[in-house]
Amino acid sequence: MDMLIAPERLELAEAVRDYLSGTHGPEVLRRLDAGPNRDPAIWQGLVEMGLTGLLVPEEHEGLGMGLLDAALIARECGRAALAEPLVDSAFVAVPWLLAQDQTDDLAAIAAGEQRVLPAHTINGWQADGDGEALDSVDPLRNLSALPADASDDPHLLDLGALMSAAQLVGLAEAMLDQAVEYSKIREQFGQPVGGFQALKHKLADVAVALEFARPVAWRAAQAMDDGAASAPVHVSHAKIAATDAAFLAAESAIQVHGAMGYTYEVDLHFWMKRAWALGGAWGSRAFHLKRVDDAVIGGALAIGPEHTFA
Amino acid sequence: MDLSYTLEQDAFRAEIRSWLAANKPANPLVTLECREGYDQHVAWERQLASGNWGMVTWPEAYGGRGLDLIQWLIFEEEYWGSGAPLRANQNGIFLLGPTIMEYGTEEQKARFLTPMAAGEVIWAQAWSEPGAGSDMAAIKTTAYRDGDHYVINGQKTWSSRASFADWGFGLFRTEEGSQRHKGLSFVLFDLDTPGITRRPIRQLHGHPGFAELFFDDVRVPVENRLAGEGEGWKVAMATAGFERGLMLRSPGRFQATARRLVELFRKHEADAAPSAREAVAKAWMDTQAYAYNTYAVAAKIMAGGSIGAEASLNKIFWSELDRAMNRTAMQLLGAAAELRRFDDGSMNDWLEGYIFSLSGPIYAGSNEIQRNITAERLLGMPRVGAG
Repeated sequence: MDMLIAPERLELAEAVRDYLSGTHGPEVLRRLDAGPNRDPAIWQGLVEMGLTGLLVPEEHEGLGMGLLDAALIARECGRAALAEPLVDSAFVAVPWLLAQDQTDDLAAIAAGEQRVLPAHTINGWQADGDGEALDSVDPLRNLSALPADASDDPHLLDLGALMSAAQLVGLAEAMLDQAVEYSKIREQFGQPVGGFQALKHKLADVAVALEFARPVAWRAAQAMDDGAASAPVHVSHAKIAATDAAFLAAESAIQVHGAMGYTYEVDLHFWMKRAWALGGAWGSRAFHLKRVDDAVIGGALAIGPEHTFA
Repeated sequence: MDLSYTLEQDAFRAEIRSWLAANKPANPLVTLECREGYDQHVAWERQLASGNWGMVTWPEAYGGRGLDLIQWLIFEEEYWGSGAPLRANQNGIFLLGPTIMEYGTEEQKARFLTPMAAGEVIWAQAWSEPGAGSDMAAIKTTAYRDGDHYVINGQKTWSSRASFADWGFGLFRTEEGSQRHKGLSFVLFDLDTPGITRRPIRQLHGHPGFAELFFDDVRVPVENRLAGEGEGWKVAMATAGFERGLMLRSPGRFQATARRLVELFRKHEADAAPSAREAVAKAWMDTQAYAYNTYAVAAKIMAGGSIGAEASLNKIFWSELDRAMNRTAMQLLGAAAELRRFDDGSMNDWLEGYIFSLSGPIYAGSNEIQRNITAERLLGMPRVGAG
């Protein structure tokens, strides 16, 4: 029993964090927003880091890593509000194809030459698909009508929900950081507003929500990787905890920014809109709450202190 | 990350489970907050020690089993899952004990830890004073040196367990004219030392769970000081870290409450509000999240890390979670919530639990203080003005 994420496992995620913070800052989001919102150069950079092949087995030219590794990198994609469909293609579609022994396209996906964009009936849309365009509040999301052959496979749904939860953790972390930084520079009443307890306590609550969403997300990723029968419940728990943390982070961050937070000029809105989008994607709060409810109140899952890792 | 237990860990779980099944009191004990209940709980503490279960992580030389923190968590899960009583010596084993382990001399370890694990000496804590609550550095009670003794004068309050306990530990001002965090020392004292007057304070539930302590020329040997003279603040912060961060409130206790809440909900399902249904699901989610986090903290410490300011996040989370669960139960009980005993004669544990849960966000450093620590030390927000 070990809930610690081994330091060497964090190294790749940290490298991705450094790479994205250096090459994918707010100025890039603004450039994408103003022009074509996909950039082959950004995609190529992700390919060169091996991320498109992260979950592709080594015999198909990938890195053969696990869902926890992918979740840790999805978190970094959230932190950077990455627009390219890396998570959907490499961390949601690839493990789903693998689960069905569909290995023909894996080498091309790992090489970045091909993308598989998952379409699931729970969403009612497809991200980065080819259908009739739909208009998302998030200017960096390209939604289109759900294709007729969309899947209703619960395993695909679990993968999408898990990776959304991981991205929401990163989005919330980024919004908290932005609010803290703004609170240090904005002065009112002759002092930085971050010196006022009302703001300290508001952002402390975000830190608490995040502290107790993160281990839920990593535990869910590990449970899915282990193929645990209870994994769907833990994925739902992760999706709820991460969504709640992200909405709290967004609402707290805009409040700390004051009227500036309500403008298009401040960067915050890119993260906030992604959080709204992913919060409802891959199963609504009601959907995931019902799965937890059925397991816990319905009695399908053993609960209590002796069953922490049931 | 590995979510499975080893065979050795499973065997340990089976061992404590069967011991508890054979030895746990058949009926609930009277509340720890009154004389009769205190005596019952101390007797239980000694029975636990007779099975060598007093504090499993301590070295065998001090009455422990030399086990690691994961095994401690397993012990706690089985302990709370079985419905075993509260620990009368929690101030000792969970707070003072780890502090002595870190700062005590070999002589102090042998002298204090062994009777602590055996349940022979029950400990009270003495931090707060009438003018030093959330602002603990405002401590005024003095312990000035007179030869090989300190002479203590002043007053402590909200001293948990002090109405009945044997020994106390606290912070005293040992340097004349010192201010704030400086000049404080961490001193252990026999509560029966001449010059100490205990005045039990009646709590919300009617019992004297804590007390005021008056010190009038109380002579305490210098060897009862933990760590160096003037190093008291540092030692007290370490104790507070254990208190908030890991040991005082292990997840098992809250997971057991969440399970009882699920059972209560099932009984009241037909007339429960939809919001109660969500609150019950959330009780399971939050207690599980707390458990995962605690396992991660334990693993971090086992890998050589330490508990920092993130202990404040923990304290905010468990205390508010406990209050929310007990509040949900009160709402589910409806008109029966106010009854101290139900129609069938059983105690209304939810009422006691709700009242007790209201103290959680206050003790061990109020949650307002914890939010300040979180904002300033973890998030790096500015420390200006009175904020």
